[in-house]
Amino acid sequence: MRTIDGVRRSGVGISADRSVHDAAAIMEQSGVGALAVLDGDLLVGVVTDRDLVRRALAKRMENDARVDAVMSSPVVTIDAEADLHAAFALFRTHSVRRLAVVREEQFVGMITVDDLLVDLAADLADLARPVTAEVLFAHRDSPVPAIA
Amino acid sequence: MQADMHASVGDRIVVHGHRVGEPDRDCEVLEARGADGRAPFLVRWGESGHESLFFPGPDATVKHYEHASH
Repeated sequence: MRTIDGVRRSGVGISADRSVHDAAAIMEQSGVGALAVLDGDLLVGVVTDRDLVRRALAKRMENDARVDAVMSSPVVTIDAEADLHAAFALFRTHSVRRLAVVREEQFVGMITVDDLLVDLAADLADLARPVTAEVLFAHRDSPVPAIA
Repeated sequence: MQADMHASVGDRIVVHGHRVGEPDRDCEVLEARGADGRAPFLVRWGESGHESLFFPGPDATVKHYEHASH
């Protein structure tokens, strides 16, 4: 399975020169918790709702401060065509909850631990269903066919 | 990203909620930055009027509108 096939949500991007207030408003309107920060077509960072609280609000930063002052950079990225297992490895080694997905070095979306966990939980539930049924409702042994 | 998603200026993109009770979001397409009307799109969000770039995922659908040809 390709990484791009594991992306469940649309990505939203903001220019690096926009304000932290704009970033917060766009997050609220679009329903995402992280924005890709772009300088032209170049991905230069990621800003999360947590960044806005810890690095802007808690530090009494002005509303019109630039978003690139509070973003996380450099960004941990993964190629859209990479196997999804490579994403698991990156989550493990970098201790991050989201990865920027890129194609030919252009941002195309975000993949999150939460989305992968929901998918894995659904897969596990599908696998566990027949086993659970067998534990709760023991099957009778099939009768041995009579030999003539 | 749904690289094959097409949209024109004035179309609306609906982003469907992911959780029970989470409302759908929608935005207006101001510009298609990709080739041939493809993503990413410059969009304007609902009431606030804030603009951002939008990279559609599987949770997004386009509502096309007929555009005047004059």
